[in-house]
Amino acid sequence: MAWNEPGGGNRDPWSSGGGGRGNNQGPPDLDEAIRKLRQRLEGLFGKRGGGNRGFGGGGDDSSGGGRPKAPGLKGIGIIVGLLLTVWILSGIYIIDEGTRGVVTRFGAYQSIAMPGPHWHLPYPIESVQTVDVSSRRRITIGYQAVSAQQTRPVLSEALMLTEDENIVNVQLAVQYQVSNAADFVFNFVDPQQTLKELTESALREVVGKRRMDFVITEGRTEVAQRTRELVVQALDEYEVGIEVVEVVIQDAQPPEQVQPAFEDAIKAREDRERLINQAEAYRNEVIPRAQGQAARIGEEAQGYVARIVQRAEGDASRFSQQQQEYAKAPRVTRDRLYLDTMERVLGNSAKVLIDNESSQQLMYLPLDRMMRSSGATGSSTDTSGTSSMDNTVSSNSSSNRSQSSVPSSSLRMRETR
Amino acid sequence: MNRLTTIGAVVIVLLIVGITFGTFTVKETERALKFRLGEVVRTDYMPGLYFQIPFVNNVRKVDARVQTLNESPQRFLTSEQKNLIVDSFVKWRVEDVEQYYVTVGANPRRANLRLSEIIRDGLRAEFGKRTVQEVISGDRAEIMSILTEQAKRAGDSLGIAVLDVRLQRVDLPEGVSESVFNRMVAAREQVAREFRAEGQEQAERIRSAADRRRTEIIAEAQRQAEELRGQADAQATAIYADAYGADEEFYRFYRSLRAYENTFNSQDDMLVLSPESEFFRYFDQLDTLQP
Repeated sequence: MAWNEPGGGNRDPWSSGGGGRGNNQGPPDLDEAIRKLRQRLEGLFGKRGGGNRGFGGGGDDSSGGGRPKAPGLKGIGIIVGLLLTVWILSGIYIIDEGTRGVVTRFGAYQSIAMPGPHWHLPYPIESVQTVDVSSRRRITIGYQAVSAQQTRPVLSEALMLTEDENIVNVQLAVQYQVSNAADFVFNFVDPQQTLKELTESALREVVGKRRMDFVITEGRTEVAQRTRELVVQALDEYEVGIEVVEVVIQDAQPPEQVQPAFEDAIKAREDRERLINQAEAYRNEVIPRAQGQAARIGEEAQGYVARIVQRAEGDASRFSQQQQEYAKAPRVTRDRLYLDTMERVLGNSAKVLIDNESSQQLMYLPLDRMMRSSGATGSSTDTSGTSSMDNTVSSNSSSNRSQSSVPSSSLRMRETR
Repeated sequence: MNRLTTIGAVVIVLLIVGITFGTFTVKETERALKFRLGEVVRTDYMPGLYFQIPFVNNVRKVDARVQTLNESPQRFLTSEQKNLIVDSFVKWRVEDVEQYYVTVGANPRRANLRLSEIIRDGLRAEFGKRTVQEVISGDRAEIMSILTEQAKRAGDSLGIAVLDVRLQRVDLPEGVSESVFNRMVAAREQVAREFRAEGQEQAERIRSAADRRRTEIIAEAQRQAEELRGQADAQATAIYADAYGADEEFYRFYRSLRAYENTFNSQDDMLVLSPESEFFRYFDQLDTLQP
């Protein structure tokens, strides 16, 4: 560092030869500079006789800069002054928002320059390396971004073993920022590659501890979370100067070779739901129908109640009224009823009157033939014979007949039960 | 005056030469070794500018940043004689520059080779003790820490500091992967069948429950209906008994007549009658009265 003070004035005359280079804000590779300097000097020694005079003049002027004698020397002095100014001005630099400048003096870390205009001791004393600390960068595991929309899977990275010795295809992205510009620049040969290696190792470790079903379904966020923790922990130990912003699982799927089977399993799940839904539809149809049917049965029973009770009351009323009249004149009424009925009965059927006393011994009745003939004629006589009676009594009795058969039978059934 | 200029020029040239050959810088990313006629004299350089005697001293610089040894994937046998393809990486950095120079000639590739041997050896040993299952899920971190320990010890002798040894990929060989896929397919098929069977089971349960419910509903309705009918029948019986009980004799007569009428209500009925019957009482008398 003491080199600078005497060097400031003495270097200029030499610098006039390589001044253009001095202004160049090249990479602060001192080795390179020294090597070139050496070459240059060696060249200078080689043709010492010629070079000496030109440089000697300049050297004289600087060393004794206070007393310019000749106008030629004065001109050289102006040039030297200009070059000196340019060299000093070359130390001005601007750090943009979102970036930091890492300042090194002779290779040693000096400071971090915040956004804004700055000045550093010019080359080759100090140099500045700017690092973008605000933009989010990303590394991907298991795929490569081909374009903004498209990605290409990298199977060797994506396929990994799970706890149950299945293989899953996981694609993960890590977004990160530079958190410590100096660490980022100085500590690792390739910080981003290091982050990628760390992430892949961590992801495989995490996935290796989970079951496949978990990884490809509800476990995604947990896997990302746990991976992040491991990566952050390792980054802290390493001092890479990188801060993880986000770890996102892009995709977690079974490998391509088994996709059809997985899809079928998913279909099967749907099938199960479908079967259940169909059964529920069946239930939803059957039960209301049954309830309807039950309502019908109930209503029919109510109808029966009404019919039976009404019928009983009707019958009872009819009988009671007749019985009351009968009680007034029993004999006549009974005879009348008897004769009326018998008249109707006999008038409505075929009959054979047999005198028991005369033909008791041997009598042949061709009953079958009589039945047949009476059946044949009966249909013709029926219309004339019954029509008159239907109007009077029989209509009542015939309707009674059909109805009365039901209750009596059901009554009997009930009793035997 | 002219003489003075010449002297000045010589001084300047000497200064430049002195500065060029007499100084060196050590960057933050570097470590340096200073030799004096081939002998190491100083290694503890902080980054910065230093002096040396040209042609007597020379300086060798090495990369002080963290290097990575990325082991190519290799096969390792587990305790159950299964092959696993493993690749790992080692993060290390130069710690003792002199040692590093002496043992591996300050050559990172040679350092990597030496580390690599140790890591492979360690991996072989650790994998040989464990099953696939243990390697993948259980002891991964443990293996990594054991290997890190071993590598650290080895690194000390090489003048390097090993930060970390990590397993990166632990995969099954190609052919085995194929059978894993087959097993996965089979497992999925099993799941699929189970799902479908489960669906059928559930559906059957729901259907049968519905059928049972239907039967219950109807049976219940029928019971209520029969009860109702019974009540109605009882009521009817009571009504009949009440009415007919007023004159049982007349009821019998009345009901008999109705029964006769209802019984012989067809033209097909054939009555074989005797004139002796009550109905023909006058039938006979008239006959006798006539002549």
